[in-house]
Amino acid sequence: MRILVVEDDALLGDALQAGLKLAGYAVDWMKDGASADQALLTEPYAAAVLDLGLPRLSGLALLQRLRGRHHTIPVLILTARDTVEDRIKGLDAGADDYLVKPFDMGELSARLRALIRRSSGKPAAALSAGGVELDPATHKVRYGGVPIELQAREFAVLHALMLNAGRVLSRAQIEEQLYAWGEEIESNAVEVHIHHLRRKLFSRLIETIRGVGYLIPD
Amino acid sequence: MPISLKQRLLLLSLTTVLVVWVAASLFTYFDAREEFEELLDAHLAQSASLLVAQSSHDLDEIETEHAPLLHKYSRQVAFQVWNEERVLRLHSANAPTQLLATKEQGYSDNVIEGKRWRVFSTLDAAENNLIQVAERTDVRDELAEGIAGNLLKPLLVSLPLLALLLWIAVSRSLRPLVKLTAEVGQREPENLHALEVASAPAEVQPLIERLNQLFARMEASLQNERRFTADAAHELRTPVSGIKAQAQVALATIDDEQRRHALDNVILGCDRATRLIEQLLTLARIDNLGDDLTESCPLKAIAAEVIAQIAPMALKQDVRLELCAGEEHVVNGNPLLLRILLRNIIDNAVRHTPSGTEVKINVSAISGLTCLSVTDSGQGIPEAELSRVAERFYRPVGTTASGSGLGLSIVKRIAEIHHATLDLKPSSTGLTVSLMFK
Repeated sequence: MRILVVEDDALLGDALQAGLKLAGYAVDWMKDGASADQALLTEPYAAAVLDLGLPRLSGLALLQRLRGRHHTIPVLILTARDTVEDRIKGLDAGADDYLVKPFDMGELSARLRALIRRSSGKPAAALSAGGVELDPATHKVRYGGVPIELQAREFAVLHALMLNAGRVLSRAQIEEQLYAWGEEIESNAVEVHIHHLRRKLFSRLIETIRGVGYLIPD
Repeated sequence: MPISLKQRLLLLSLTTVLVVWVAASLFTYFDAREEFEELLDAHLAQSASLLVAQSSHDLDEIETEHAPLLHKYSRQVAFQVWNEERVLRLHSANAPTQLLATKEQGYSDNVIEGKRWRVFSTLDAAENNLIQVAERTDVRDELAEGIAGNLLKPLLVSLPLLALLLWIAVSRSLRPLVKLTAEVGQREPENLHALEVASAPAEVQPLIERLNQLFARMEASLQNERRFTADAAHELRTPVSGIKAQAQVALATIDDEQRRHALDNVILGCDRATRLIEQLLTLARIDNLGDDLTESCPLKAIAAEVIAQIAPMALKQDVRLELCAGEEHVVNGNPLLLRILLRNIIDNAVRHTPSGTEVKINVSAISGLTCLSVTDSGQGIPEAELSRVAERFYRPVGTTASGSGLGLSIVKRIAEIHHATLDLKPSSTGLTVSLMFK
């Protein structure tokens, strides 16, 4: 899952990036509204964490611009502004959630999971397909009730495919979900992860559509 | 015990009335008495002239009795007629038998047998007989006392009545003050709305206007304080969030290097929050400071002192500080505040200038005005943002140096207090912050 963090404070941005990475997300960190707007135009993020007091383009303006383009990305506002009016303004501008600083990293990741879950149309906390159960909160995967050990990237690939169960994801789409900007993408990494997943789970779980991509059937 | 306006007004008006009244009464009394004495004297003279007319005839000794007293003011008049041998020929019953007055012409006052008499003496046409007509003085006094009594009686009756009426009038006149007192007294401390001026009497209006001005100033300062507290709390949230998030990263990671990095950031965050708090306190102190600008401040000496304080930090960053000042320039102001101002400007310059460059501090006189300027070799501030940088908590985009965004607010405020103009403009090397003291 790739997340966009828009935060102008250096220390907080750094912590958000590190903390969300530890929670299994690929994180892009933008320090102003205008570059965040650019990034959102081109990159497929699963969700965005947005500060309101941003240089160049304020959080609210960015949000309005985004919704004006009918962009459906789940947006969580993370701000120091705590009045009810501010919350209402933020939610009405198109935010999906509102969290006031100082916050708890655990809560932030839980809220992001909930947002991603809802936006993917799968409201249950745990995902399941073909006898495989995946819990995004605990990063635990079970197959037929037996816990399966997966590496972080393998988990992310499985998570992406299960969230989009019944839809084909191209290799590029999977890669985009795996890597933040500036991260080195190994050339056949996706194939390697799929191979490992098939070995650890069962070979027929993930179907290959040749020349198109991969899919987990509904 | 404070002076009561009501008592004072009452006392003053009553005393005034009393003094004027007594003075008027005394004047009237003496005037009336004089007139009245003259009238009585004229009567004596008239009685005497009647006797003169009669005494020319040969008269037997007769007893003169006056008609019974018809009125309490009827006077007891006595008379004597003496012949040329000064033998008493004729006298009234109430007259003594001895000579009423030794004086033979005109008026005189004499005491005979312990009684005071007013006597008019005259000689008849042949200058043989001496005619004396007299009246008892105590009768006259009694009459005068009657007049005085009549004058004083209404005063005694009306004085308490007057006092009562005055008391009511003064009370009514002072009612707006009582109302104002009650209104101010019942106010909640946070109620700083203006009092109504229009309905108040003219004398009270200036007081209410001043009070309203005071309320307005208090309201402004309260608003300022509230805004400041809100801003401060708001601005502290972000560094605190950063510290907390970094600490949580440190707890969650299994990578030693990442943990170290996160913990370093926790310390950095604490330093930043501390600096922010210090600057907030400085700003709050300046905001509450009066405009006491009477001290002479030697700018060159103050600059040297501040540079000496910052130099160690600057050296660590490989930034050289240079003071360019000819003679001493003295401005009126608050040396403590000017030190804070200079420290903030120079500190800011050192933070934003690259290593190996220098920061120049200049004290000079430009067309009669003392000018203080600090030039760094940093990247400067984009033209569009120059006007905003002095706003509280504003930090330009791409600012990498740690800072609270309060330094220039502090500088701006101190400049305002000193009526100095603050100017930020790009220089050939970086940014020049200059202050012109009037």
